[in-house]
Amino acid sequence: MTSSSTATGASGLGPWSAIVLLAPLTVLMFAILLYPLGLTLWTSLYDGQLSLRAYAELASSTLFLKVLRNTFEIAITGTLVSLVFGYPVAMHLAAQPPRRRTACLVMVMLPFWTSILVKSFALVAVFGNQGLLNQLLGFLSGGQINLPMMFNRVGVVLGMINFLLPFMILSILGSLLALDRRLILAAETMGAGSLRIFWKIILPLSMPGVVAGVLINVTLSIGMYITPALLGGRQDMMVANLVDFYTRQTLDWTAASATAMALLAISGLLVAMLGRVRGGLSGGPA
Amino acid sequence: MNPLFGSSDVARRIVTVAAWLCYLFLLIPSLIVVPISFGNSGQIEFPPREFSLGLYRQFFTDPAWWGSMVQSLLVAVATTVIALLLAVPAAYALARSELPGRGLLRGLFMMPMLVPVIVLGLGLYLQFSNWGLLDTTAGVVLAHVMLTTPYIMISVMSGLQHSDIALETVASIMGASRRVVFFRVVLPQLGPAIAVGALFAFLMSLDEVVVAYFLTGTDAMTLPVKMYSSIRWELTPVLAAVSTLLTVLSLLIALGIIALQRKTEAHS
Repeated sequence: MTSSSTATGASGLGPWSAIVLLAPLTVLMFAILLYPLGLTLWTSLYDGQLSLRAYAELASSTLFLKVLRNTFEIAITGTLVSLVFGYPVAMHLAAQPPRRRTACLVMVMLPFWTSILVKSFALVAVFGNQGLLNQLLGFLSGGQINLPMMFNRVGVVLGMINFLLPFMILSILGSLLALDRRLILAAETMGAGSLRIFWKIILPLSMPGVVAGVLINVTLSIGMYITPALLGGRQDMMVANLVDFYTRQTLDWTAASATAMALLAISGLLVAMLGRVRGGLSGGPA
Repeated sequence: MNPLFGSSDVARRIVTVAAWLCYLFLLIPSLIVVPISFGNSGQIEFPPREFSLGLYRQFFTDPAWWGSMVQSLLVAVATTVIALLLAVPAAYALARSELPGRGLLRGLFMMPMLVPVIVLGLGLYLQFSNWGLLDTTAGVVLAHVMLTTPYIMISVMSGLQHSDIALETVASIMGASRRVVFFRVVLPQLGPAIAVGALFAFLMSLDEVVVAYFLTGTDAMTLPVKMYSSIRWELTPVLAAVSTLLTVLSLLIALGIIALQRKTEAHS
């Protein structure tokens, strides 16, 4: 510690050079990040005079309450499905030898690198009414079966988990790889069955990854805009779509700003929880 | 082979089947656009009945598509250059100075990652309509610079953590000026970290749709915004050709990033 701090002393930057280097980005963040956020807050509070009227109207608006309910329903459904399917994938990855694990990880990461618009278009091509899956089902059933899987709740959740799964898998994989394999060997030697090993050792020890993965998924899905707009129906509007609706359709910037501030508060709360979970569990740099 | 499942074959089989279902679900949407893009008809077809480059011809001859692609590349290049010029010096200053309030600044610089994009989209829309920046290239670039700098900072700061601070000390003891130390000692070591950040920023700007949708109209429309309205209103098969081009580009960038990260790991 002492040797590294003397090293910083000799090659460290003086306060003035540091300020010069930090100033441009700081100015940008004030002008293009904090200012628009402040402007949104101001717009939500001020029309002629300062008031909380916009928020009171939101709280009693059936549209807003319905959209809020949709948002939580879709976010929680998407997160749970992604947990149920992500966990086995993480286990499968953890059990592979390093070289095969890298190959499998590429498949998990591919959608992570693919544009959300490409994925949305492709999901319509696979799950749409004339999509690949329905063509197959129709062929097998002689034209009897056609499942509506797009432009409804199912479509939103499918798009959602396609987006969320990589985050869930990577989060759980981290915990599984950190788990001490000798515990499992020991339990097995003592005669524990694999179901018991899973419930008593693997699952409890991977909880940090599960909790972080769930929080990341909920946080990401709460603000989703593209997926519900492209893959959902009229009934599946989420908060982000409502912001757009107020901005473009009804030109009510006050309501749009209040809705955006409500979303910011909810997601801020989730980010704070995530920070606590991460900080409390990892201790060192991740 | 590996004791994670104990010795149960049933458990292993269930996990393997569930995992492969997920791999398929994750993989197929990214891949299926490729065969569709070589079809030739007025509608989306899989498998295509005959091989054709017609959809690509449509893409490259329609100025609405081609023009928004050029616009997107322009915005992404400008964003990357400006974001690098702002973020690299700031990351260096945060890592190598003892300035009070660094934690607060760091939090400010990371904030764009934590605010939902729709909130930023609305805020910038309100701001730029006052400032006359709506539907201008400069407006989109400014917004994208703000959105991408955190990712460059993360990459560069982790590069600085791994780089050898003793070299900087030695250079300054030998009488090198601060500027010489930065350009001759620090930057060469940071090369891969900066390149990773730059590629990531480029890809993010190229794919960003929500903020661009709020900020652009017909004049400054980027490719993702054009794709968004096309999926929403017409669902033309040209989308398959655009998607294939974008996916190939993303893959190349991803491979570049992975190769660079391998290189830095081998160094340290």
